[in-house]
Amino acid sequence: MVNPIYILTLSLAAGFLLTLIDKSGRKLSLTVFYGILSLNVFIIGEWFYRLTFLNTPTVIINTAGFSAPLSINLQLGMQEAFVLLFANLTALLSAVYLFKKFKETHISGLILYLIMIVGVNGLVMTRDLFNMFVFSEILSISTYALITLTETKKSLSAGFKYMIAGGIASTFFLLGVTFIYYFTGNLNLDFIHLGNFSNLGFISIFLLAIAVFIELKPFPANGWALDVYEAVDSGIVSVIAVVNSAAIFFVFYKIMPILPQNFLNVFGIAGVITFFFSNLMGLKQKNAKRLLGYSSIGQIGLLVASLIFTMHLPRSLMYLIVGGFFFNHLIAKAGLFWITGIVKKENLKDWNVLKNNKPLLVLFGILLFALAGFPPFAGFWAKWEFVKMLVHGKMFFVVGTILLGSLFEVIFLFRWFTLSIKGDEKTEHKNISLELSKMFPTTIFAGITILISVLIMKFFYDFNWLHALPVLAVLIINVIDFLPSKIKGILSLAAVLTYGYLIYPLESNIQLFFGIIFIIGSAINIIGTLNRKGKSEGFYGLLLMMIFSFGNLLVAITYLEFFLSWEFMTISSFLLILRGKKAQKASMLYLIFSTAGAYLMMVGFSLAPDLVSNSVLILSISNVSLPIAATILLSIGFMIKSGSLGVHIWLPEAHAEAESDVSPFISAILLKAGVFGLLMVGISYIKHTPSFDIFYWIGWIGVLTAIVGAFLASFQEDAKRLLAYSSMSQVGYIVASIAILSHLGWLSAMYLSFNHMMFKSALFIAIAGVYYRTHTRTMYEMGGLIKKMPLSFISVLIMIIAVSGVPPLSGFGAKWLIYSSFIEKGWYLQAGVLFFASGVSFLYLYRIIHTIFLGQLKYEHQNVKEAPIWFIIPQYIFIIGIMAISMFPNLIIQPLNSIAMRYFNSSIIIDGYTISSSLGYWNGNLVMYVTMGVFVVPLIFLMLFNGRMQKVKQFNIVYAAERPESPQTTHVAHNMYAHYRKALGGWGKPRIWDFWHEVSEWSHSLADSIRQLYTGNGQTYILHIIMYVIVIYFISGV
Amino acid sequence: MIFSLILGFLLLIIGLYGMLTQKNLIKIVIGFSIVDTGTHIIIVSIGYLSGKTAPILDSTVDLANAAKQVVDPIPSALVLTAIVIGLAVTALMLSFVIKLYQKNKSLSIDDYQELKW
Amino acid sequence: MIKRIFILLALVGLVLMFIPFLRDFDFHKELSKLSSQYVEGSINDLNTQNVVTSVIVTYRGLDTLGEVTVLFLTTAGVGFLLRKKKASLKTRRSSELLQTASQFLFVLIILTGIFIFTHGHLTPGGGFQGGVLITTAFLLLILADVNLKFNYSILHFVESFSGVFYVMIGLFGFLILGMNSFLDPTILPLGNYGKLLSAGAIPVIYSLIGLKVGSELTTIIDKMGGE
Repeated sequence: MVNPIYILTLSLAAGFLLTLIDKSGRKLSLTVFYGILSLNVFIIGEWFYRLTFLNTPTVIINTAGFSAPLSINLQLGMQEAFVLLFANLTALLSAVYLFKKFKETHISGLILYLIMIVGVNGLVMTRDLFNMFVFSEILSISTYALITLTETKKSLSAGFKYMIAGGIASTFFLLGVTFIYYFTGNLNLDFIHLGNFSNLGFISIFLLAIAVFIELKPFPANGWALDVYEAVDSGIVSVIAVVNSAAIFFVFYKIMPILPQNFLNVFGIAGVITFFFSNLMGLKQKNAKRLLGYSSIGQIGLLVASLIFTMHLPRSLMYLIVGGFFFNHLIAKAGLFWITGIVKKENLKDWNVLKNNKPLLVLFGILLFALAGFPPFAGFWAKWEFVKMLVHGKMFFVVGTILLGSLFEVIFLFRWFTLSIKGDEKTEHKNISLELSKMFPTTIFAGITILISVLIMKFFYDFNWLHALPVLAVLIINVIDFLPSKIKGILSLAAVLTYGYLIYPLESNIQLFFGIIFIIGSAINIIGTLNRKGKSEGFYGLLLMMIFSFGNLLVAITYLEFFLSWEFMTISSFLLILRGKKAQKASMLYLIFSTAGAYLMMVGFSLAPDLVSNSVLILSISNVSLPIAATILLSIGFMIKSGSLGVHIWLPEAHAEAESDVSPFISAILLKAGVFGLLMVGISYIKHTPSFDIFYWIGWIGVLTAIVGAFLASFQEDAKRLLAYSSMSQVGYIVASIAILSHLGWLSAMYLSFNHMMFKSALFIAIAGVYYRTHTRTMYEMGGLIKKMPLSFISVLIMIIAVSGVPPLSGFGAKWLIYSSFIEKGWYLQAGVLFFASGVSFLYLYRIIHTIFLGQLKYEHQNVKEAPIWFIIPQYIFIIGIMAISMFPNLIIQPLNSIAMRYFNSSIIIDGYTISSSLGYWNGNLVMYVTMGVFVVPLIFLMLFNGRMQKVKQFNIVYAAERPESPQTTHVAHNMYAHYRKALGGWGKPRIWDFWHEVSEWSHSLADSIRQLYTGNGQTYILHIIMYVIVIYFISGV
Repeated sequence: MIFSLILGFLLLIIGLYGMLTQKNLIKIVIGFSIVDTGTHIIIVSIGYLSGKTAPILDSTVDLANAAKQVVDPIPSALVLTAIVIGLAVTALMLSFVIKLYQKNKSLSIDDYQELKW
Repeated sequence: MIKRIFILLALVGLVLMFIPFLRDFDFHKELSKLSSQYVEGSINDLNTQNVVTSVIVTYRGLDTLGEVTVLFLTTAGVGFLLRKKKASLKTRRSSELLQTASQFLFVLIILTGIFIFTHGHLTPGGGFQGGVLITTAFLLLILADVNLKFNYSILHFVESFSGVFYVMIGLFGFLILGMNSFLDPTILPLGNYGKLLSAGAIPVIYSLIGLKVGSELTTIIDKMGGE
């Protein structure tokens, strides 16, 4: 093992000599330069390994032959080694990134860089306050000079602002150190204790702390930092934002023990405020680097807050939280800054050049997901534990602020991401040059983020390997992405079925039931995707990820496992939706609402009491009583996913804009995950009666969702949008039935869920077929397709009968069950509204079959063929399913009865094919025969006695006068239910849409007015700093 | 010496006032320099012990009882480092000013605020 | 105008922050424990007359190494910023008198500078002060003749090697005396108290610092001089 003093001295000596070495050629000096940087990484890496895994005791190195406090000492423990390892690694990789620059620039550039790292290393290791000042000045001065590596007006002026701001901060630091020496007679951190200070002396600690804190860029005293982030070369800025910040953060950590608690509280809150406001202001940002700057500042604020609030936690947990945030920020931010230097586009809208560059896009995606704190990356675990800890500490205000800030961050990061993939801004498509020296470091960091996530999942949480499956699926499919999509599709189908078999021995019927919806339903839907041509790169990976996450929801044991699968599901479905042609806005809406929902759930789960058994969550939840707040938060979270009224606006967009073979997954299956969750909340709720009847209101929301969804569906011109709103309406029924909290209610909810899965899948696949042939989703542009696509027609016909609830198909049974359950519960008004909603649903169902399949065939569609076989097969499988449960309802009612009986006394009697409740009975089998009879007898009669059928040709119709501009719009199919819309009057306005639109406008304009603080004037920035010092001084009441 | 302490703080405030109000970049640097000087005076003055001599233990000091006769050597050592660092920062600031002036022919800080928001 | 008010508010706020502090400030009457240890250690362990020097070079040697590094960085930074070749200025040649006098003074000042940094352990002053004095000598030359060109190779050589030797002396302590002895001056004999050759490696280190500071500051002044 090499003594750590060498990482200071070797770099220093090399720095001194580089001018001379350079005289014999840049090659030699570059060799020395990179050699020393690598050596540093190696030395520290070895120490990190020893200190962490071999339990080597912390090393303390005194200097000059005297021990502290006489001389200055250095300390290298596990924490120091951790920080240094990543700082040095980042520095090395940044240097690799800057290789081209270093080859050409003045030798001083290399010297400055090398000695900057000395500053970082010294700053982290030293225990002496004044020595910290010296090293921090080494760090700052070299940074100031390196800013001019790209010599532009912007970088120079940013550098100047940085210098004067840094100068002020170090003046405060120096004053603080001086007075600390005066009051304690010591400069060594290990010999200074809070007790040494008189009241008068606290000002000295304050000055020291505020100086370090200002270097950590608190809002609003951080304008200088933003300018630096925007103006400086990507390679250098990643060092400033990552390496320097890490070192200064560690200094803050080192001085924390001598800070009084009231200071720490103020700093913690200031960190949270910084996090919130920088992310809010990030919303308005169009410049990529400045955007990262805002995010960077926010993350550091969060880091400080997490450090302060987790101080008293057990070490390992604190390491996970602070280390997680630290790591996440460090790695992801460096990588993203590097990518900005590779792409070389300032405006976010120009980033769609990434579209054609898969390797870079993948790196970008990984780092962005990591930064946003999505699983499986370190930030996710840190956020989960941090929120849990804050909730336990009853710091709800802090939790709210942090989560809202995170939401803003997700919004601006992913707006950037979706713009990169789907942005339609016209830019000249120059290919981005992927220089090896720049790609290499970025790839390494993306790799490290993944590695760390694996380590956390394996060693910290010890998850069942099933929970890694969603990620593995993506990786594996990525490896075999060169195969044609058919093969990958069949492999995926096999994988899903194998997965189903693997998790099959389930503990309970309720899991089995949802397992059938999630796994079998998905498997059948995969058949529809086999129609894809080409390679469909990445598609099957995401699809498998989503399906596996569905399944993992069922077998999750802890809250965290459940939430993890939930997030995996969100990520994968978001990316799937994003694959749609015009899905940028739609996927954003989906992600924003899902993330908001996920955050509510996170708080909800944190409020939930510990689980007492080792069963799967859906079972063990019945033994814990969720507090009211948790019930409400979790319900809202799940209802967002199931598209309930008020938070439904993502749903039509996402369902409509997703690729047409993805929509069935989203609409028929994904929504059921929300249903599953709500049922889970219900299970805990019924076992323990809280004082406030939440589910009464949930019931109302469900009912209103059903009716509003039905109306909205009727007014759509777009077939997929119509189906989407129809899903919203149907899930409204389901939610309402769950909310009844009775045997019959849950029975009908599950029954309808199953039904809905089948008919909505089939309908979406049918529409996919139609779209595939006609290339339009606008219904009035179609018509008369019955002749061209008879098989699709039959399937749609059967399915809309199943939806509408007319006999004989299963929908009738569903409706009968629902009304019975409502009446039994005594919710008459709700039942009435639902009944009305069913009436409305006839409107849209009629519309879809009429405008697409009936009427006149359009001229353009003369040569349309039947939908491809891959679309027909799944539809007919679902038809068989629908038919089976319509004929033999016991197939499904019986198991559902047994599931519901676990929670309620049975209220129905099953006798043969007859199901009787307190309100009457239903015999599906008999209904089927009767209806068949009623249908078949007149049909035979008509066919026999009404032989004179006449077909109306298209050109029988003569336009009365002139030819209209776009003839379709004069057709009845266009704006079909205009009169109903008129009848609704003011109720027809998209109020909820308007509401969310206003929310967005307001937050953006708020962001815009706050960021006016940053005037760009260096003097204003100093003023901010001084005022910040004064305000914090008086707040912390020194 | 309370007066030198007050003087130090006074210089600090004056320097800050200069940094905040002067538009000329060079004057801002001068302001910073004054702040720096103020800080140094503060550091030196807290090491002062009234009635004692410089910590140079030549023949005029009784070696056996040296610690009772000299002022605090630590602030003197610290201030030396601080001065050198202050000088370094000032030099670098001035180079920035030179560079900015070369590029844009302006010394007014108002001309360098295109980076904002 | 509003900005003015804020500036005044900020400064008044700062004054308010410090006033209670200054009002109740009371000065120490005795040396702190640490300082007394330094004073005694300087006599007993280091044989150094100048306590400040022993603090700077030995007890807080790492600070001083850092300080030298800061200066070095500034040289590199200024060199990096002003990396374009400077143009010769067309100026009137300065008078014969000025030139001769400055050359005469140059030697005197250099000698004084060397005296100061070699006697840093005995008398007030040391490497930094000596180095600065040496720089003033060069400054004098530059002032006398603006277009004066220095031999950069020598400057760089002195600068680099004085720095490297400094680090090496530090490492010698570390290698010979053990891992807690980075920058330990006792690798050389301590000699007799009060003599030039005493205090172990302190005068050597201080001389190297003097050379380094002198050459660095000269480079800085030269770089900035022509701009």
